[in-house]
Amino acid sequence: MMITLRRISQLLFLSLFVLLFFQARFPYEAWLPADLFLRASPLVALTVMIASRAFIASTILALIVLALTIPLGRFFCGWVCPLGTIIDGSDHLIRRKRRPARQRDPLTWRSWKFFLLAALLVAALFSTQFIWFFDPIALLTRTFTTVLHPAFSFLLGGLFNAAFGLHLFEDQVYSLYDAAQAGGLMPVQQPRLYENMAIALIFAAILGLGMVSRRFWCRNLCPLGALLGIFSKYRLTRRHVSAACTKCSICQRECKMNAIEDDYSINNTVECIECAECVSVCKPRAVSYTIGRSRGENRIDLSRRRLLQASAAGAAGLMLFKTAAAGRIRKGQALRPPGALTEPQFLDRCIRCQECVKICATTGACLQPALTEAGIEGLWSPVSVPREGYCEYSCNLCGQVCPTGAIQPLTLAQKQKSRMGTAYFDKTRCIPWYRQEDCLVCEEHCPLPDKAIKFDIREARGPDGSMRTVKFPYVVEDLCIGCGICENKCPVVGAPGIFLTAAREIRLAEPGKSGLKGT
Amino acid sequence: MADYTRRDFIRIGAGAGAALAALPMLPEGLLAVPNPDLAVARNGAPGLLVRKAVEAIGGMGRFVKKGQTVLLKPNMGWDRLPEQAANTNPEAVAEVVRMCLEAGASRVRVLDRTCNEPRRCYMRSGIEKAAKAAGAEVRHIVDSRFQDLAISGGELLTSWPVYRDALESDVIINMPIAKHHNISGVTLSFKNLMGLLGGDRGALHNHFMTKIVDINMAIRPSLTIIDAWRIMLRNGPTGGSLADVAEKQLFIASADRVAADAWAMGLFNIDPNTVEYLRIAAKRGLGQLDLKRVKIQEINLGV
Repeated sequence: MMITLRRISQLLFLSLFVLLFFQARFPYEAWLPADLFLRASPLVALTVMIASRAFIASTILALIVLALTIPLGRFFCGWVCPLGTIIDGSDHLIRRKRRPARQRDPLTWRSWKFFLLAALLVAALFSTQFIWFFDPIALLTRTFTTVLHPAFSFLLGGLFNAAFGLHLFEDQVYSLYDAAQAGGLMPVQQPRLYENMAIALIFAAILGLGMVSRRFWCRNLCPLGALLGIFSKYRLTRRHVSAACTKCSICQRECKMNAIEDDYSINNTVECIECAECVSVCKPRAVSYTIGRSRGENRIDLSRRRLLQASAAGAAGLMLFKTAAAGRIRKGQALRPPGALTEPQFLDRCIRCQECVKICATTGACLQPALTEAGIEGLWSPVSVPREGYCEYSCNLCGQVCPTGAIQPLTLAQKQKSRMGTAYFDKTRCIPWYRQEDCLVCEEHCPLPDKAIKFDIREARGPDGSMRTVKFPYVVEDLCIGCGICENKCPVVGAPGIFLTAAREIRLAEPGKSGLKGT
Repeated sequence: MADYTRRDFIRIGAGAGAALAALPMLPEGLLAVPNPDLAVARNGAPGLLVRKAVEAIGGMGRFVKKGQTVLLKPNMGWDRLPEQAANTNPEAVAEVVRMCLEAGASRVRVLDRTCNEPRRCYMRSGIEKAAKAAGAEVRHIVDSRFQDLAISGGELLTSWPVYRDALESDVIINMPIAKHHNISGVTLSFKNLMGLLGGDRGALHNHFMTKIVDINMAIRPSLTIIDAWRIMLRNGPTGGSLADVAEKQLFIASADRVAADAWAMGLFNIDPNTVEYLRIAAKRGLGQLDLKRVKIQEINLGV
C-alpha cells in the first residue's frame, strides 16, 4: 500500500520534473516556474545563501522542504527526488537477479557524504560555491539539458526526416513535426552543447555505481541527502517492528539505503529514506510506521578528526580555486548572459543547472556551459558563444528561469540596454577590409534601432588591381550591446571577421546593493 | 465578399467605363480593355488595398486557376512586431490568402526561411496567426526539404539549394515589404526570394547585385505584391524604431517584378535606373525597368 503510494509519488514528481524541463522554452508560459525543483533543493538554498551572504527569496520552497523533513524524515529522497527515482529505475534494470545477502559497500562509506557536505559548506563560508557539482537537482537538470534532451531531439529529428523521406501522409507528418517543435520537445535548431561528454560520463558513473550497491549515490555521496539526514535525525515518525519478526533478514537485504541494523528492529533514521520497502517485503507483516520519536540507531558516522580533515580539504580546494591564474585573454572573451551579477557574485550563485542554456537553446542558442572560458572557477557556467548562437534582441528568458538569481530577471527594455560585451572587426578576415568587396551581413543583422555597425563608402583597389567603391564597416562602441549576431552571421569560414569580447560589459550588483556596474 | 469582388473587378478593369459596370455578367475574356501592367492602390485598410491592387491588374483569377497550389512568400524574417515594419503586413497577407482561395486554389502555403529564430518570427510578425485564420497552411522550414536547383543563365551562380515548395507549387506569389537596406539600397521583391533559399545565404552578399538576379532567374513568381502600407526608411532591414517607419498606406501589384521594384524605389526617392540589380535584371529580360513604358493604374480610395 505505502510502497504503491511511494511509487506513484516518485513517478508523478519525475513526470513533473520532465514537464517543467520542457516548459523552459519560447514562448515561456509558466504555469509553474520551470526551475521549481531547483528552488526546492535545501542544499542549493543554504549554500548559495551562505556563499553570497544574501537572502534569496525564490528558494523559499527549499526551506519548506527542510522544515517538512523534521516530521517526515528523508521523504524528499525516497518520494520526490527525480534523480533518486531514476537511480531506482536503473538499479532495477542492473540487478534483476537475486540480491546477495550482504550489501557490498561498507557502512563506513556512508560518512563520505557528510564529509563532502562539510567541505562544501566550509568552502561556501569562504565564498567558493562548489555545491553545483554535487547537488542532485542541479546535476540532473544539467544532464537533461546537455545530454538527454539533445539526444532525444536528435532521435526525434531523425525519425521525422525518415518520415518526410517517405513522402507519405506529408501533412500529418508535418503536423506532428510542428507540434514537437512547438511543444519544445525538439528545438528548431538541434541543441549541440559543449561539455556534453563529461556530463554524460558523470551521469553514467552515478547510475553505474548501482552495480556496487543500490542507491550508491544516495547512500554514500549525495550531500543533499546528508543535509536532509541531519534534519531527519529528529523526525517524528518511526519504524516499528513487532514481535512477529522472524529475523529472516529480508528487510535488511531489501533496504535500498542499507539503513537496517543487524538487530532488525533498529534502523538508522539518518539514512532511512522512508521508502517503505521493508514494510512491504516483510512476510509476517511485522514492520509498520507509527508516530513518535525514533529509539533507533541514528548515529551520524563522523569522527571529529575526519570532519576537521574534510573542512581542511574544503579550505585547500578553495585556495586552489582562488589562486588559479587570472586567464585574462579567455576571461576577457567570456560573455555572460544579460542580467548576470558581477563575476564573484555570479559564481557564488550559479549552480550550473543549465536552465538558462536550455531555454536559450529554443531561441538564440548562444549560451553554452563553459570549460575554461570563464576560468577554472567558472567550469560549466553559462557563457555566450556567438559563433554558435546569438542573443536574441527581444528575448529575456534566461533571467526568468535562473533559480538563484545569478542571472537577474530583466524587463525587455532593461535587457536591450544590458551590454554583454562589444564587437570588434578583425580587418585581416573581414571581407570588405581584406579583399575590398562589399558584404555587410553583420550590419544587416544588427538588431539595434540605431545600428551599432556603420560603414564608410570609399574607393579602393581590389586584388585584381581595379578601382571600386566599397562599404567598409566599423563598430560604434557606444551603441553595441554585445548580442553577437554579427559574429554569428559573419559568412567568413572559421574565425569570423567580427568578434565579441566582454569589454564594456554591464554586470548587475546584487539586489539591494545599488546601481549597474560596468567593468 | 465574393459578389462585391467580381463587380468591382470589372469596374476597375474597364477603367472609366461606366457602361461596362452595368454588365456584371460579361465573361472576362470579352472585356475590350486590357489590364494595366502595374497597379497601385492607396489610402485604406491593408486588406482592402491589396485586394484593389490585384483586382486592377486582372484579379487573382488571372494568376491562380482552380485547383492550383500556391506558395505565398511574405517577408517574416525578423523577430519584430507589425508596426515596426520589418515584416509584411499580416492583414494584407491574410487577404491575399483569401483571394487565392476564392480563385479556387487548392492550397495556399505561407513560409519563410527566417533570419532570427523562426518560431519567434512567425509568432511576433502576426503573420502565422492571420494567415492560418484566413485558411493558409503556414509552414516552418524543414531542413530536409531543400534541393539543389540548377540556374540556367546564372552569371555567378550555377545552382543553389531551393525550398521544395517553390519548385512544386503551381503559382508563386512574392509579397515583400518595402524597406531600407544598406546592401541594395532598398529591399523589395528580388531580395525577398532569399527566404526560399537554403545553404549559407551570407555567402550571397558579396557580388550581391549579380547573385540576387541569378536567383531570380531560377525562381519566377507569377505575381509580385509590394507592401508599402508601412515602409522602413532607415536602419533596415531590421529597424526597430517607430521613428524609422513611415505610413504610406499603399500596395503595388504587378506580374512584372522589375517594374514593381522600380516603382517602389520612388517611395525612397531613388531613381530605379541607378539601381544595379534592376539594370542587370532588365538586361536579362526579367521585366521592364523603364516605367514610362509600363501601363500603370493608380487607385486612390482616400478620396
